[in-house]
Amino acid sequence: MITAVGAGVLRIAEQVGGIVVLAGHVLRALVSLRAPRLDGRELVKNLYKMGNRSVPIVMLTAFFAGGLMMLQSGPFVKQFQADALAGWGAGYAVLREIGPILIALMFSGRVGANNTAELATMTVTEQLDGLRALAIDPVRFLIVPRVLAMVVTLVALTVIGDAIALAGASVVGHFLLGIEWSTLYYSFVDNLEPYDFLHGVQKAVAFGAAIAVTSCFFGVSVRGGAVGVGRAVNAAVVAAAVSIMLLDFFLTFLLA
Amino acid sequence: MTAFVEWRGITKSFGAAPVLRGMDLAVTRGEVMFIIGTSGVGKSVTIKLLVGLLRADAGEIYFDGSRVDHLPESALAPIRKRVGMVFQSSTLFDSMTLAENVALPLRKHHRLSQKAALVSARERLAQVYMADYADRYPADLSDGMRKRAAIARTLTLDPDVVLFDEPTTGLDPVSARRIDRLIRELADRSKVTCIVVSHDLPSIFGIADRIAFLYQGKVHALASPAALRASPDPVVQQFIGGLSTGPMETPGF
Repeated sequence: MITAVGAGVLRIAEQVGGIVVLAGHVLRALVSLRAPRLDGRELVKNLYKMGNRSVPIVMLTAFFAGGLMMLQSGPFVKQFQADALAGWGAGYAVLREIGPILIALMFSGRVGANNTAELATMTVTEQLDGLRALAIDPVRFLIVPRVLAMVVTLVALTVIGDAIALAGASVVGHFLLGIEWSTLYYSFVDNLEPYDFLHGVQKAVAFGAAIAVTSCFFGVSVRGGAVGVGRAVNAAVVAAAVSIMLLDFFLTFLLA
Repeated sequence: MTAFVEWRGITKSFGAAPVLRGMDLAVTRGEVMFIIGTSGVGKSVTIKLLVGLLRADAGEIYFDGSRVDHLPESALAPIRKRVGMVFQSSTLFDSMTLAENVALPLRKHHRLSQKAALVSARERLAQVYMADYADRYPADLSDGMRKRAAIARTLTLDPDVVLFDEPTTGLDPVSARRIDRLIRELADRSKVTCIVVSHDLPSIFGIADRIAFLYQGKVHALASPAALRASPDPVVQQFIGGLSTGPMETPGF
């Protein structure tokens, strides 16, 4: 029992240490004076693959997340005849919490897991060693473009998702709760601050970095064949989800 | 003759299992050296140690007069540009076409634009008779084709030494002899030192200048193909005769 707990703690410590070391390598490459810091073609390829193809699923999720917030707050708003606060209730929750978190979790499941699987397959098939043997740094060529692409993409998707979520909240507010469009509009404009939006964007930056580094770490540290790839994807998704929740708590505390 | 590549007293274990136990080997410039032996004896480990893909537990490795085994990862790039490696599994990047694979080191090390690198990559693929497949992905091709493309990609570095890890394993005899011919031409025409890990006897006795036979973690015999074939050593004779019984201890059996 004690041995198993000790082994588990050591494994987690090893993984956290590995993630921190990889993050350090990425940062060092980004601030390095030695060119090239990263591969531009890989960055563009990943921005397209990770961002463009994630837009439909993020739009769908965000629309219903916004609608859900309106559905939850709607009955109380109607009860107290405070229609002018309907947008505040839904918008505040969407911009600060639900939007960034839901989109990050969706992004982790779609893009992070895919990234881990791809890097893990490259690792077990010696493609990473192949890069090293060609005197090409895998961190600068593969990891840095992916980390940057994930951060930029998640921020962009969060901005798009916020807008779609507010639209979803408005549609639900109007058609299911009978609130006028103009009331909803002024409810958003009068009650939401630009900082509510920025608060969510700051979280998206942190979530994107966490998903990127964890998914890359579990991809490049994989052991074993196909079974190892499966385990790596599983571990990456769990680690990203835990990181998102922990970061959300601490960022909410620090940024409030 | 002065050694161009040299392993001195190398030991390497994986966990509790020792693989190399004080191995010594010297390779001269321009020769085709085959490293042979049974599976698991440490042939691939030996060449991976030279380019820093694995680290030795003890011993020293020299390349062109300089010690390289203690260099950090960041200092290995100049060595890896001069010592190319063709892996057993080819390690072509499966998200890229053959031309893009070959263009990658050209773009990275020769500072070519993507367009110029692709033009040069097609020329290099033509040298290994793969020009017609330049726009195909590795998954669409046979093992032999992938290996030829991997050789073309490694040669873009214009290396002084090329390490081949079982280049003919799994290939049909015709493809295997074509790979042999490529290796021999590389040494004869371009004066590239070739270190080939193999247990393919027709390759070994067909193109080697010298053969190092690894056994029990050390070089058990080092000789020309003719001398090795004539060796009275029963272990050597069991290996080259492919005999299932004899004095040889084989890990896993």
